[in-house]
Amino acid sequence: MDLTLIIGLIVLLIVVVVLLWFFSYYNRVIRYENRIDNAWAQIDVQLKRRADLIPNLMETVKGYMNHERGTLEAVTNARSAIMTAKTPRESMEANTMLTGALKTLFAVAESYPDLKANQNFLQLQDELTHTEDKISYTRQHFNDSVLQFNNLIETFPGNIFANMMGKKSREMLQIPEASREVPKVSF
Amino acid sequence: MASQPRLIEDHIRKNKRDTVVICMLMVILLFSLIFAVGYILGAPPILTMILALPVALFYIFITYSFSIQSVISAAGARPVNPQNREEKLLSYKVEEMALAAGLPTPKVYVQDSRDINAFATGHKPADAIICATSGALQQLNSEELEGVIGHEMSHIQNRDILVMTVTVGVVGAIALIAEIALRMMFFTRGQSNDRKGGGNIIVLVIAIIFIILAPIFSRLTYLAISRKREYLADADGAYLTRNPEGLAKALEKIKADVPDDPKGSKTVAPLYISNPFKRALRDSIWSTHPPLDERIRRLRSM
Repeated sequence: MDLTLIIGLIVLLIVVVVLLWFFSYYNRVIRYENRIDNAWAQIDVQLKRRADLIPNLMETVKGYMNHERGTLEAVTNARSAIMTAKTPRESMEANTMLTGALKTLFAVAESYPDLKANQNFLQLQDELTHTEDKISYTRQHFNDSVLQFNNLIETFPGNIFANMMGKKSREMLQIPEASREVPKVSF
Repeated sequence: MASQPRLIEDHIRKNKRDTVVICMLMVILLFSLIFAVGYILGAPPILTMILALPVALFYIFITYSFSIQSVISAAGARPVNPQNREEKLLSYKVEEMALAAGLPTPKVYVQDSRDINAFATGHKPADAIICATSGALQQLNSEELEGVIGHEMSHIQNRDILVMTVTVGVVGAIALIAEIALRMMFFTRGQSNDRKGGGNIIVLVIAIIFIILAPIFSRLTYLAISRKREYLADADGAYLTRNPEGLAKALEKIKADVPDDPKGSKTVAPLYISNPFKRALRDSIWSTHPPLDERIRRLRSM
């Protein structure tokens, strides 16, 4: 076999390997990115679900907690903040607000034995806690996915391909400052 | 902690590769066993060859298709009842862990038993099932239950459920065939010896030794893998809940609790989060699970 043919074949082989490598890399980037978007969609669904539960809760506690106007208002305000939030950041902030307001409400409810015995209330309390947990776990998954995506496109050789594909690193969903404060309950 | 997600991706890929290798190994083992039995019984090698492979493949296909059903019915498990608050909270926990892992929500079952235990089964994440005993629901608090569900979810995420479910079936079949073959040999050995003559006696002995060793070999291979995957599922479960202490506390409760062999425990044993048999059978080389103390120690040192 003559030398040019061998060199030609080697070059062809290298080109094919690089192309395959690029394709698999490209698919990985897209898959990771879709996972981030999907995680966000999930959070959004849970936020809506949570906001939808609030009117029922208000209806249930209304008869018992008429004197806790401030507590009830805080919950209603947080709910409308979720409904009007435009960016993921705003949504997460509103969600934190709602979590705090609900925590206060459930703490206050402890001093209303009638309300605590209400099946409807218990059901709503379980479900609201559940959606809260779902949101925090989905946020955790979102952040894991972002971390993975960012690691992929920021490290060598991924960063070269990422530049060619025009992919930028994503931002994680931070827990807003407010949620780290323990809500004050005054009786 | 920061590098963990990448790590999970890596060992999921490795586990998938292992799964294929183990399944192939099991097919080969089953095939060789049938072949050896055929040889000893004096069937022409070509005929055995033609028959053994389809039989082995068909058996594994059947095990694969019916594995979920057979595990569920062996355990006597039933779907959760959302009217019961404890069971509702279980399905909530499963849903939350599925979200944390980014997997579809598995179906949730309950096994009525006083023991604290749980298992996951299925072929792939989309048709997975998580089952907990009613004892677990009653005795574990929310944090501990979350730890247990996180562990089961990691088995699903790491694609352990398929290999666990299928190998349980194949290991059983190998044991059964070997036993039948050894019994049959008493009746047919003389006849096949006459036909083959003395020259083949060494091959015959090798075949018999193989039949004796096959069940032991298949079981040990499986056990070694299963123990390794338990540690991995503990670690990944802790990563999902971000709380190793929850699972550690649950395992402590399991340790203190005396198991009383729930229904179908022989079939389901390797799938459970901890060995369902009485204390004496735990922690030996035949155990499908690593020692509880070691698991707790590893969780606490994370």
